[in-house]
Amino acid sequence: MSIRAVNGIKKMKSVTSAKKAATPAMPAPSSVLIIGAGFAGLGAAIRLQQQGINDVVILERAADVGGTWRDNSYPGAACDIPSNLYSYSFAQNPEWSRGFSGSREILAYIHHLVNGFGLEPLIRFGTNVTGITFDEDAGIWTASTGSGESHRAQAVIMASGPLSNASFPDMPGIDTFEGHKIHSAKWDHDYDFRGKRVAVIGTGASGVQIIPELVKQAQFVKVFQRTPGWVLPRPDYRSPEWQKTLFRRVPAAQTALRKVLFYGHESMALGIIWHSPLTALVERVSRAHLRHQVKDGWMRRQLTPDFRIGCKRVLMSSDYYPALQKDNCKLVTWPIATLSPKGIRSAEGIEHQVDCIVFATGFDVCKSGTPFPVTGIGGRQLDKEWSRGSQAYKSINVTGYPNLYFTFGPNSGPGHNSALVYMESQIDYAVQGIRLLLDQNLKSLDVKPEVQQRHNEEMQKRLARTNWNSGCKSWYLTEDGYNATMYPGFATQYAKQMQHFELKDYRVVEA
Amino acid sequence: MASIDLDKMLEKIKNSQWALADIDWEAPGVELITPEQWPELKAFMADLMWIEHIGARGFAAMAKKAPNDTLKQIYTYFHAEEQRHANAEMALMKRWGMLDGDEMPRPNPNLLFAIEWLDRYSDDMPLEALGTVIPMLEIALDGALCKFLLDTVHDPVCHLVFEKINDDESRHLGVGFHVMELQGHGNVYRNILKMLATMIDPRLLLGVAAYFPLLNRMRDNIVRMGLKEESLYDAMEKFRKIGGRTAQGRRNPWYQFISRHGLWVMNRRNRLYHVPVDAAVRASDYIPAALLPSTPSWVNEITWRPEA
Repeated sequence: MSIRAVNGIKKMKSVTSAKKAATPAMPAPSSVLIIGAGFAGLGAAIRLQQQGINDVVILERAADVGGTWRDNSYPGAACDIPSNLYSYSFAQNPEWSRGFSGSREILAYIHHLVNGFGLEPLIRFGTNVTGITFDEDAGIWTASTGSGESHRAQAVIMASGPLSNASFPDMPGIDTFEGHKIHSAKWDHDYDFRGKRVAVIGTGASGVQIIPELVKQAQFVKVFQRTPGWVLPRPDYRSPEWQKTLFRRVPAAQTALRKVLFYGHESMALGIIWHSPLTALVERVSRAHLRHQVKDGWMRRQLTPDFRIGCKRVLMSSDYYPALQKDNCKLVTWPIATLSPKGIRSAEGIEHQVDCIVFATGFDVCKSGTPFPVTGIGGRQLDKEWSRGSQAYKSINVTGYPNLYFTFGPNSGPGHNSALVYMESQIDYAVQGIRLLLDQNLKSLDVKPEVQQRHNEEMQKRLARTNWNSGCKSWYLTEDGYNATMYPGFATQYAKQMQHFELKDYRVVEA
Repeated sequence: MASIDLDKMLEKIKNSQWALADIDWEAPGVELITPEQWPELKAFMADLMWIEHIGARGFAAMAKKAPNDTLKQIYTYFHAEEQRHANAEMALMKRWGMLDGDEMPRPNPNLLFAIEWLDRYSDDMPLEALGTVIPMLEIALDGALCKFLLDTVHDPVCHLVFEKINDDESRHLGVGFHVMELQGHGNVYRNILKMLATMIDPRLLLGVAAYFPLLNRMRDNIVRMGLKEESLYDAMEKFRKIGGRTAQGRRNPWYQFISRHGLWVMNRRNRLYHVPVDAAVRASDYIPAALLPSTPSWVNEITWRPEA
């Protein structure tokens, strides 16, 4: 794989950061600490380097890079955004083998980012951050880690990922099940499904990818569905050799395709984010897809969603419905009563006996907390401030926590376009802020509370008019129905919002 | 009737789940079924099982219409629970040697029409209509039939099963009457007009054409089994009394219509009602099998096996 580096930001001279005098016992603080070596963390490191900020440390809890794509290696794992858009514009890959690449190829792309941009020396693997604290006097963040060692830096980029923690759901009887349990985000590659009876709980984005693959391997698969989602066909294809050659030789052609894909997805926002005539059209396409693939009326009924499209994540699959109709597969829509030693008892009174249960039940998304304690000015705790739902300024900064940048912070989630497009905007914004901090030898940049409040009032007002807030239950919303997850607009609007770092919105403390 | 906290009810439902595997289907007691009662009991159980099964489909349609997520979840559970009752009743039939291998008992023509109607149209019916008919069917047929069964069958496993079924049914009725009362809210004239508009919907008229003969056939079958007709009428009267206990319940025009219909059914001398409906029951027996509706795939969900 060869990745073409495109310098979107003009390379600047290396910054010898204006470090504060450190206490003799403590190592000198770095300029930037990045927490997480997934797409966001690595992308941030690349953009910082391209800006001449080389004094960067990346803390990664695992032994490898890749984040979500390292963890989600279940059979069939793939991206549901075209690969040419689900990649960095500043590191395009002409070699994508498919329209929608699988997790292995995406992980390989991430590895090539590390190798291509020489990021490996920056990464401290096996370093699990247990908390970060801001020293207001020194203008320094300290990250404590599981091993007891600490890392200090002037700025921190939180790139720990919104979908990085997964655990078995809290279901009655889960501990009594005597068979094998597998979580989609922690796949057990040593388990042989051949000849096994398997239950899959969950029919969301992971479930619809796993099920077709399991049906090919297992003796019998029972799919336990709680709520059917809207499914659109995924127009996957094998990339022809001429296309790869063209993209290698004429990079502008790939950039042009990326633009076409970008605006194509942008147009989907009209149907998916807001309730418009296009919403009915997209629903019609999804229903036609269902009708085309499922002939039995009752099964179609069980697979027809009863919420507005867009309210929950739209699923992309062309092989999910056919898999459900295979002779060795059965869709179970009865509510699960309890798990038992031999399988799953559903409310129609039957015990579905299985050898293995696959939990495609998603992630523990932090909508009202933080992955570890974050202590800001005056000892304020971010999880307490976010206990009723998180909020930030432009999704990236939180007042009282200076020089701290979130990737995929509150209200930054895309519902219709590539997450990486949003990620690039966040990274470039953070880089602008950090540049200012270092160039102007500032101690801290802290967003003003009134600015953050105004921004969030506007966000929530706009969110109230979106399909996400139209009444269904989804992981986008807190139990109280507060949407701290999604960005209510086009990706273009988000990028525009993140284009300029407005110094007037920040409380500036000089060193 | 006291108002119900639906959230607490949902929790209670979740905590009251049972499975066929909880019952020892090989326990002694089979011998208590007498050879005399066996053939009639077989026909009776088949009807009962099918009534539960179509009741289940009614709840599935109601789940689609529920005004909030809690009620939707409750109806989803009730759908499954009615299916569980049908499964348990089929398991009793298996225990009593009433099934030919794995063969499912064939539904009578009136049941087939009801199944056909539910499959085609029930999802399009307003919650008010289903929300009143289903409690009526539950209290009248389910209630009366179950009581009769427990009076005449002495197999302890049968009693154990119906103890569990009756526990579930009491929750179904509690929610059913609560929802009927809620639907008595609002302007009476507007509710009546809405009902009249629904009643001239040809799809509903087809449903009526399936429902009336089904009720009369069940009455005939029960009487043939030895059940006193009065106990069926007592159950219908119970529906009328509980449903009309509050002013709000009485303001629900669907309650008024369904309970009035109950009075027609009870009054054997109402020839205007019974002559054509009984004729429809008799006529349905002469419909060639090829012309009877085929069963939809949800019918195949029924099973006597505790494990799958």
